[in-house]
Amino acid sequence: MENLKEIRNRIASIGSTMQITSAMKMVSASKLKKAQDTIVKMRPYANKLTELLQSLSATLDSDIGGAFTLQKEINKVLIVVITSDRGLCGAFNSSIIKQTGHLIETKYSDKEVSILSIGKKGFDILSKDCNIYKNESELFDNLTFENIALIADDLMKQFLDGTFDKIELVYNSFKNAATQIITEEQYLPILQPDSDDNTNTDYIFEPSKEAIVKGLIPKSLKIQLYKAIRDSYASEHGARMTAMHKATDNATELRDELLLQYNKARQSAITNEILEIVGGAEALNN
Amino acid sequence: MFLEIVTPEASLFRGEVESVIVPGVEGEFQMLENHAPIVSLLQEGDIKFRGNFTIEEEYQDKFTNGDNNTKILHINSGTIELNDNKMIILVD
Repeated sequence: MENLKEIRNRIASIGSTMQITSAMKMVSASKLKKAQDTIVKMRPYANKLTELLQSLSATLDSDIGGAFTLQKEINKVLIVVITSDRGLCGAFNSSIIKQTGHLIETKYSDKEVSILSIGKKGFDILSKDCNIYKNESELFDNLTFENIALIADDLMKQFLDGTFDKIELVYNSFKNAATQIITEEQYLPILQPDSDDNTNTDYIFEPSKEAIVKGLIPKSLKIQLYKAIRDSYASEHGARMTAMHKATDNATELRDELLLQYNKARQSAITNEILEIVGGAEALNN
Repeated sequence: MFLEIVTPEASLFRGEVESVIVPGVEGEFQMLENHAPIVSLLQEGDIKFRGNFTIEEEYQDKFTNGDNNTKILHINSGTIELNDNKMIILVD
């Protein structure tokens, strides 16, 4: 049969695709492990900071957040969209972009919306029809706390200067390797933390309670952004791992099907040959 | 007392120490065993702590050695909380 060779070629090409997808899956799995480790390492710092801030603001009656908690009339909104630099990770980027579009059309339809994009994929699509405030895509080449803190500093400054009245984050938060949760989170102004009054320790405060809270707020904003970006980074690798796993599975299925077809075709070619030989021998005998 | 030094990226040190000197925003101060509970902001300077402990190999290059078993860590800013002989330093 003439398509035997064709099928053989297809099987070979699917085989090499499989090799690539399964290698990419392995790479993502190891990167995911590392990304998860950083999240775990960040936790003691983040937890302690939140705990301190909550217990301190609970004991202060006045609105200590100052300018950061100020609810203004909202005209200018900044959405920080966190996507990835690379594709091949399923719906990871597209769902974030969809969510952003949805936000702009519904919640902020009559507001002036700007975008701060972190990650090339988001920038590529959103830059077509949105007002881009900044693109911080090179961040992923060097994902350290200092670099993220610089972005957070800039956001705080823009908020205080009145460039934006509200800042929101849209990102994938990490649940497990297979599940990402699309999250919208208000960044500024700060929502007053639910303070449960459990500070019965009589602390010495140096310099003063107010000064400490004022010092802690920018730190907690930095860690909030850091956490969001780290979460998104881990989610990205989780999503890619899952996508590549599915691709490998599909390729295996396809290859098995083709192999069956190939064997059937081969079998029928052999049967035909035997028929011909037998037919020829019969003719000779007669 | 028990000292823990954490940054957003790692937990640099956990262990028992005898004394800790920190660069508070209103001046350097020292804390020994049974110090009263305190919360304070730190400015740029050195954290110095003394005792019998070992620092994990991974982070050893972050610390420098001082006199009599003192280890020194340079920071840009931070926060400390001390309560019930448990001290935690958040380094930015």
